[in-house]
Amino acid sequence: MTIFNLPDLGEGLAEAEIVRWHVNVGDRIAVDQPMLAVETAKAVVEVPAPFSGVVKALHGQPGDVIATGAPLIEFEGMLPTARPGGTAAASTAQAIAPTAPRTANSHGTSAPSRASAADAGTVVGNVPTSEEELIETAYAGRHAAGTPAAHGRHGANSANQPGATNLNAVNGAAPHSANGRLRAAPAARALAKKLSIDLTRLAGTGRGGVIVVDDVIAHANIARSPSEQTPAFTGGEKLRGLRRAMAQSMALARDNVTNCSIYDDADLHHWREGQDFTTRLLRAIAAGCQAEPALNAWFDGATQSRRLLPHVHIGMAVDTSEGLIVPVIRNVDSRSPTELRQEIDRLKHAARDRTVTPDDLRHVSIMLSNFGMIAGRYATPVVVPPTVAILGSGRLSRDVIAVEDRIEAHLRMPLSLTFDHRCVTGGEAARFLAAVLRDLEKDT
Amino acid sequence: MAKVTMIEAINRAHAWEMAHDSTVVVLGEDVGLNGGVFRATAGLQEQFGKDRVQDTPLAEGMIAGMAIGMATQGLRPVAEIQFMGFIYPALDQIGNHMARMRNRTRGRLTCPLVLRMPHGGGIHAPEHHSESLEALLAHHAGLRVVCPSSPARAYGLLLAAIRDPDPVIFLEPARLYRLVKQEINDDGQALPLDVCYRLREGSDVTLVTWGAMVTETLRAADKLESEGVSCEVLDLATLSPIDHDTILESVVKTGRLVVVHEAPRNCGIGAEIAATVAERALYDLHAPIKRVTGYDTIIPLSRLEHDYIPNTARITDAVRATLAE
Repeated sequence: MTIFNLPDLGEGLAEAEIVRWHVNVGDRIAVDQPMLAVETAKAVVEVPAPFSGVVKALHGQPGDVIATGAPLIEFEGMLPTARPGGTAAASTAQAIAPTAPRTANSHGTSAPSRASAADAGTVVGNVPTSEEELIETAYAGRHAAGTPAAHGRHGANSANQPGATNLNAVNGAAPHSANGRLRAAPAARALAKKLSIDLTRLAGTGRGGVIVVDDVIAHANIARSPSEQTPAFTGGEKLRGLRRAMAQSMALARDNVTNCSIYDDADLHHWREGQDFTTRLLRAIAAGCQAEPALNAWFDGATQSRRLLPHVHIGMAVDTSEGLIVPVIRNVDSRSPTELRQEIDRLKHAARDRTVTPDDLRHVSIMLSNFGMIAGRYATPVVVPPTVAILGSGRLSRDVIAVEDRIEAHLRMPLSLTFDHRCVTGGEAARFLAAVLRDLEKDT
Repeated sequence: MAKVTMIEAINRAHAWEMAHDSTVVVLGEDVGLNGGVFRATAGLQEQFGKDRVQDTPLAEGMIAGMAIGMATQGLRPVAEIQFMGFIYPALDQIGNHMARMRNRTRGRLTCPLVLRMPHGGGIHAPEHHSESLEALLAHHAGLRVVCPSSPARAYGLLLAAIRDPDPVIFLEPARLYRLVKQEINDDGQALPLDVCYRLREGSDVTLVTWGAMVTETLRAADKLESEGVSCEVLDLATLSPIDHDTILESVVKTGRLVVVHEAPRNCGIGAEIAATVAERALYDLHAPIKRVTGYDTIIPLSRLEHDYIPNTARITDAVRATLAE
């Protein structure tokens, strides 16, 4: 026979009073079928059958008080070990190692006896237990001030002692935290990581030496609008007019053009008397453009497109007291030398008198810089977009040259041709220059 | 020296203090004759008598109110709320009187009392028995909120709480009550309030936690150590006022912070810690702060409670996320 004891009904209560049996001796009952009603201090509860079987004996009558864990009902035969009946607490009543707290008890009596039931130490639920021992060391407070607080030893007001740690780092005064880590704004860290910049190479300009986004950008030399760049000096004059225009167009040229220069000398030995240097130069350039139209063109880097120009409009660099101006002599290819000379004079006067009109400056197809009138033999003239070539003529000089196997002194004009190698080949440039030389070296 | 569980440590702290300070009294439901539903006060009524260990009716407002009255008149009550989930009826007394008695009377009347209660879930209990409501109380000025995570700290911090001249809400993690034993000296030594306890030193990430979550957090730290991650673990211990300085010092060292608490995420104490670290140590952070918390739902009943309570895997995932930045 199998005896089923009154389970812990979940309130940690020691006993229950039988109110009413629902089954009789000899009944065959099914698992979970209500067997009886009992009353605890809190409520009347039903006790379900822990398994199916035949009732052999009832261990109590209505009105009897049964202690938790005492026999309640008996079944025929050997039946499987009782499933945990009723509440979860019943099953865990066996699982929990009871730890009845020992107290210094002057009366010599212990806590109310729980008889044969294990003291679950809780009225509800299941407080987990183990045999594990906790071994730990705990330091109270901040690192330098903290003292071990294990085993209930007093931690001695460590919170109030001044710590050796520099909390100024925390409050924003030191550029590096106590352990040497860099202090950087999160956005700065993210940007530096994106640009593969090593933060340790930056100086922080934020409050307390913190590295900020601007520091990262400055280090990466990212182009930003000119107004935001840091000036190299203060108190200078702001550029205006022609100087300002030159600064801007030269910067534009630098950022876009691929300058390449070829140098040569025109031998003017055979020139007749009374040649007009400037008109001869202009005519020679026109001849070069005819031989190699590629140098009389416009090029746009953004769209990678080129336009060969039908006429030769030469922009001639003129030096004025205000700065550089480049008036354009139009249709050089179809004008007579006299017309050219008139036009040159007109523009030079206009430049001096500051009456050059915008029309005079438009539609340049190729440029000439006649710096040799002042000084200098060779130069690296700068191509200004959208043109693709500029010829610089240097100071005439009487040079010693070899002619066959004789030494002679010839008047020569140094020439410096710069072309935009993005759209003009070396061959084209050389052929242009050859044509210019051929025309210049004619006697008239 | 003796090896005791947390519940035994709490019991001994009561006994020591009551033996050495005759003004300390105990009150609550089932604390006297039954010694408390978790046996925290077992044996005290036999030892110190019915006048000093009183069973109250089932009335939390009355328990809090009586404790306030006793405290203002020269006693040092240690009152028990049987489960933190039962605290709502007492909030009127706590917020309107306990927390502000000193302020209201300009110091003429004070409340040197402790209101202790089981905290958190994981014990297969019915509804209302698994709450973690520390954020509600921490938010209220005039209350100190303390939560030990080991038998030794339960002993030392309870003594400190009883001796503190102002109200202390003492939260005892129920699923740690009997989980482990620890050697303690039953010598009446208190531990400092208002400081974090560093349980593990590390250099890659700072983990801040309290209560029962300390167990899972230390387990997570062990797992991460085997992966080469060095974790520093701080037991907050006093949940209000928060010891920000220790946390900040640690975060400045490690550059990463993960806060772990069983209580729900929304407006939890983890948010306060995260905000303060963001205010004062943003430039030392290498990754966003992470919180591993209970979900923003009512804590479920027993079959699902371990899906709710953060487990070791959720903690290790959060730490790895901070390292992946």
